[in-house]
Amino acid sequence: MADPRSIAHEEHQATHHAHGMRYVVVWIVLLVLTVVTYAASRVHLPGGWHVAVALLIAIAKGALVALFFMHLWDQRGANRLIFVTSLAFVALLIGLTILDNATRFPLANPPGSAGALPWGGADRDPPKLP
Amino acid sequence: MQASPLAHHFENIEKQSHAERLGMWLFLASEVLLFTALFAAYAVYRYLYSDAFAEASRAIETWFGLVNTVILVTSSFTVALGLNEAVKGNGRKTGLWFAVSVAFALAFLALKAVEYSHHFQEGQLPGRYYSFHELQAPGASLFFSLYFLITGLHGVHVIVGMTILAVVGVKAARGKYTATYHTPVELAGLYWHLVDLIWIFVFPLIYLV
Repeated sequence: MADPRSIAHEEHQATHHAHGMRYVVVWIVLLVLTVVTYAASRVHLPGGWHVAVALLIAIAKGALVALFFMHLWDQRGANRLIFVTSLAFVALLIGLTILDNATRFPLANPPGSAGALPWGGADRDPPKLP
Repeated sequence: MQASPLAHHFENIEKQSHAERLGMWLFLASEVLLFTALFAAYAVYRYLYSDAFAEASRAIETWFGLVNTVILVTSSFTVALGLNEAVKGNGRKTGLWFAVSVAFALAFLALKAVEYSHHFQEGQLPGRYYSFHELQAPGASLFFSLYFLITGLHGVHVIVGMTILAVVGVKAARGKYTATYHTPVELAGLYWHLVDLIWIFVFPLIYLV
């Protein structure tokens, strides 16, 4: 028989319970947050706050799905570690990519020469194609 | 004759389930990173062409995305209810809930198809096929390249997930799984929740901001 202290056994116990009410609550909260994120995109917010608010709500919704629908809340050990590790790499990949782009400046190309970025980013004055 | 679900190289069913679950999570982590590459590309071009991206996002109909979000979140909920029945050993009800989830997936795809045909009519297409007259700015066609890449890859995942749900649902309804062994139901559900999870991030990035 299984060792009662083993992780496999505990996982087995934890995932073999019915969670009916919990699912209903999570579902309703997800629907409410969907409406909230839609409403937040319609009101006027300064600067980059739309992106920040939308991403915060998306992270909250994603956490609810991962913790309760995907049962990370009930699990222990390796399964949680794998998912958290993948999230760390998501943060690295997106964070460093944005950091790279945000700190670029035209280096050696004199203004007006081929390949020089216009001051203020590519959005202001795109280079004319021949 | 019903073969035992326990493979001979596992000591007991609990350890086998543990290994199966671990493998699934590894696969899901790789899926997360696959989509992250596209989100990183989105982040770069959104940074470079912020005005064009904001206007292109405004040019597409938000309600398609909103309704599809509600559909996917609800389908995740019905998949969770299906697992709930599998835990109690009611394979038939699991099959029913999974059938409902497949119906939601089909509704999602139908709506997406209508939306895609809109884009084709308006000329909101990637690269040199872009011919949307109301928005002529550098970067606008890039938004639609990323739009089709992200929603297209997600759509493929919806089709795969829907197929898995259908196969596992039929097996559950035929009584293949029991209250002690129903890991395939659980793993099919995990895949579907991941499809939902990714859409939760696609929706605000494409439609809202």
